[in-house]
Amino acid sequence: MANTKLLMTFPVTETSHTLAEYRARGGYGALEKALRQMTPQEVVAEVTASGIQGRGGAAFPMGRKWAVVHPNDGQSHYLCANADEGEPGTFKDRWILEYAPHLLLESMLIASYALQVRNAFIYIRGEFDLPYRRLAAALEEAYAAGYFGERILGTDFACDLVIYRGAGSYVCGEASALITSIEGKRGYPRNRPPRLTVRGLYQKPTVINNVETLSNVAWIITNGGEAFKQVGTAKDPGTRLISISGHIERPGVYEIEIGYPFAKFIDEDCGGILGGRALKGIIPGGISTKVLTGKEIEPLTLDNQSLAAAGSSMGSGGMIVIAEGTCMVRLLQVLLRFYHHESCGQCTPCREGMGWLHRIIDRIVVGEGRAGDIERMYQISAWNDGTTICGMGDAAGYATSGILNKFRDEFEYFIEHKRSRCNGTLECPKSS
Amino acid sequence: MKHLIPEFEKLRARYPAGFESSFVLPCLRRIQEDRGYVADRDIDALVEYLGVPRIQIEEVLSFYGQFRRKPIGRCHIQACRNVSCSLLGAERILDHLTKKLGIAPGQTTADGRYTLSTVECLAACGTAPVLMIDDAYHESMTPEKIDALLAALV
Amino acid sequence: MPEIFINGHSIQAERGQSVLQAALAHGFYIPYFCWHPKLSVAGNCRICCVQVEGRSWVEIACNMPVAEGLRVLTDSDTVKAYRKSIMQLMTLNHPVDCGICDKAGECKLQDYHYKYNGAPSISRDAKVRSTKFHALSERIVLDNERCILCSRCVRFTSEISKSNALGIIQRGDASLVRAAEDRPLDADPYSDNIIDLCPVGALLSRPFLYKARVWYLKPTPSVCPGCARGCTVQIWHRKQEWKLNALDPRQNVSIERVTPLENPHVNGPWICNKGRDLAQIFERPRATQAMQKGKPVDLPSAIESARHLIESAGHPVALVSSWGSNEELGALKHALPGRFAAFTKHDWTPQPGERLDDDLLIRADKNPNTATACALFPRQDDGASAIAEDTDLVLVWGEGFDFVRIPVGAKIIFLNAYLQPENGHADVFIPISIQTERRGHYTNFQGVVSAFAPCFPKKASVADAETLFAAIAATESARA
Repeated sequence: MANTKLLMTFPVTETSHTLAEYRARGGYGALEKALRQMTPQEVVAEVTASGIQGRGGAAFPMGRKWAVVHPNDGQSHYLCANADEGEPGTFKDRWILEYAPHLLLESMLIASYALQVRNAFIYIRGEFDLPYRRLAAALEEAYAAGYFGERILGTDFACDLVIYRGAGSYVCGEASALITSIEGKRGYPRNRPPRLTVRGLYQKPTVINNVETLSNVAWIITNGGEAFKQVGTAKDPGTRLISISGHIERPGVYEIEIGYPFAKFIDEDCGGILGGRALKGIIPGGISTKVLTGKEIEPLTLDNQSLAAAGSSMGSGGMIVIAEGTCMVRLLQVLLRFYHHESCGQCTPCREGMGWLHRIIDRIVVGEGRAGDIERMYQISAWNDGTTICGMGDAAGYATSGILNKFRDEFEYFIEHKRSRCNGTLECPKSS
Repeated sequence: MKHLIPEFEKLRARYPAGFESSFVLPCLRRIQEDRGYVADRDIDALVEYLGVPRIQIEEVLSFYGQFRRKPIGRCHIQACRNVSCSLLGAERILDHLTKKLGIAPGQTTADGRYTLSTVECLAACGTAPVLMIDDAYHESMTPEKIDALLAALV
Repeated sequence: MPEIFINGHSIQAERGQSVLQAALAHGFYIPYFCWHPKLSVAGNCRICCVQVEGRSWVEIACNMPVAEGLRVLTDSDTVKAYRKSIMQLMTLNHPVDCGICDKAGECKLQDYHYKYNGAPSISRDAKVRSTKFHALSERIVLDNERCILCSRCVRFTSEISKSNALGIIQRGDASLVRAAEDRPLDADPYSDNIIDLCPVGALLSRPFLYKARVWYLKPTPSVCPGCARGCTVQIWHRKQEWKLNALDPRQNVSIERVTPLENPHVNGPWICNKGRDLAQIFERPRATQAMQKGKPVDLPSAIESARHLIESAGHPVALVSSWGSNEELGALKHALPGRFAAFTKHDWTPQPGERLDDDLLIRADKNPNTATACALFPRQDDGASAIAEDTDLVLVWGEGFDFVRIPVGAKIIFLNAYLQPENGHADVFIPISIQTERRGHYTNFQGVVSAFAPCFPKKASVADAETLFAAIAATESARA
């Protein structure tokens, strides 16, 4: 299958992120086209026609989200790019922030024009320092060039953008927690209704999109929604940035056309399993997606439909490769420690459930596992499925039940024998 | 904190009106950058400057992992121990650090030079295991690289 | 008016209601911890979940808007199983303190445990420990282990009393309710409402701590006399069958605590802290002995002496208590001879630092019945001017009158409930009853009339002002 590139279309150098080089590549041409030749409604229509789905993890169609915001309703509208990228295993938005910041900025300008947004935000996780400085420098370049502020490109369109830095909280990557954080408060997710596109930031209509999703807007406007549909699959068009890590020979960020064969990607593009070991499993899209075994991956293609049929998801595009010999019990312990630490604490099932799961896995790992522990973990996962304020409770449940489903025997062994069947190993040597 | 107010005023320029509450996070970050931590009197001054309830600032300081209300060592070494880093030796790295520095995560060396913390995923999984030292990422770490880094960090 | 269906029954809901509100209004009980009719929706406890017919999952009802044709189930097996799971999660780390917790008997967690869980905890892991006996303020103690983080207390200080005194620090199961460090909860005159709001025994009254089990007590409806708002309250005191035999018998006739009596016309579900402290008003040392110029006399003699003074007075003045009930004030109006120059007296004036009119409940007028008193006796005492020189008799009813204002040589009849040095100066002193000893009504500043009922027996040596006025105002000829 062809592997078209829409985002990683240029060689990365010391200066490829600058305004001059971005413009040399045709940058800000899409903005010109949108402002001079299209109405806001036409821009929304083009994005809707592209069929692009969210690349943050939820896969919600971007056009459908945008369509909820009513034009000319007399209210302020806000646009937020979600650059919180906290999902373990995921580092592909970082690529855009560090190497293609103007791509994001141009796309946000087009989106702001389409949605009648006067003030846009990029919520960037607090730990990102270099990405923040690249983005901030790019923003100043763009302001200086007149792409932000009043009368952009001599039109009536005005837009200001603020880069809002987070301060160390995974849950702020959840859209409603993100805007509550921008309001200067704790990152507490909100119940829906109301949807954020109806009442979001300071109770005004707000669109929150992932960095990668937004960054596709410039190409869509330049080439059209129909052209975008020709890339990838019918139900899931375009490309995805995959960040792959773990026990893989060539970790990093790759752009693949959606529908690309999974096994080919692992074995050829990424060099196969580290040290030539056998593959135990892959967590395909961030730790909240269900782990797939080596065998299960063989017939799959990298798109949401294929992975959903296998009981998993493309998620955030954060792929984690696990070689044979890795202890899945200890791996789950790392995940549950993470979820416990990051739970905001608002709602009962997640607040109590995360601590409970963590305490159970800790007991198992020190040899104090009990007969009912596996069933109890399943039960806690079920109690968090669809019953919490945000998706974090569900996510922890999926991670837990996913690993238990595929590797139950390892847990039973650990509980019975009070030790790991794999010597408690997590690390795999880098080279064979 | 008062000497930072001109900077805060400039910050407001790109925000819409009515976003006073939003300034809490950026102001706290700048205060911490300046002092090394956020002092009680900084909180009082920020309450006066922004007009937000004091409890909001206290909540924010305790909710977000990067804010601190007490000083730490001159150099903050933060080791990721999430999945991908663990799969590539984060536990070994952390072991090496605790032995080398003589402190456990959450502690500061007696000479006040280093504070060691564990953190969650830093989105540098492709170059695991990763350390964040103050603001900078140090990727593909090995015990040897750590020794060289500590030697250079005097 | 959208029509919705609850368990198959058709309900006429109101536009803008949640399913929870509609259900409760029509007698369908859905359990809830974090929801409260006067606070914003938090939706964090998750126990109010219901099942929309046709869906396999549950959703919270407190944040589900009613919509035409919506069909929900509040008692399906799915909902029941879910409620049980929430109870298991809530009691996972909740300490089994019931035996020593003041909330026992009026605790939602207990009630729902019996109704929806009825099973021991399925966990065999140690409970997470946290702070106990945290002094949230001078008046309120917080136990974080019992706290279920429903955030009602936080929302109250943010939305109702607006002191912004409380918040939740840290996160996850390490979250803690805390007061802001500059201690505004101490300065919040409505702080104690969070004790009522707390659905568990996390927030407790320090003055009330360990005094009595709530089922030893019974509430008597009354009206707070602290200001002209006249919030209706419940005064809690020992039930007869739970009286203490061995200890000081005064403990059986004391005010154990005061809580709001919910009243949509006056105070809603709230009162201020002054109302909580009514014992400090009503349990001051009482006058129980009639006197003439300090010499003890029996009540009938005192009444006769007073009657005689009134009959023979040429230029009498009366200072009328704004703490008198409607009945007492009416009786005085009826009985008081026309020769009297009567003035409504403001028995209590604001203490230094006491809050005056605010946007919630508190009024600057610190008397419960100025409305009726002024209606019947429109001339108001300014609290300072000297009484007219030619006055030969001053009838003082109630507190707050400075005797230095009385012209030398005038006779004094003093009716008062409390021990005061002036009692001994009066030519005739008659001790009178207080509202906790009788039935009556006050009218608040908006004209709302509220009733109070007796909690405690009155001593025989103490007179009721209502019947007293007729007795002391009767003329010889009338009596003949």
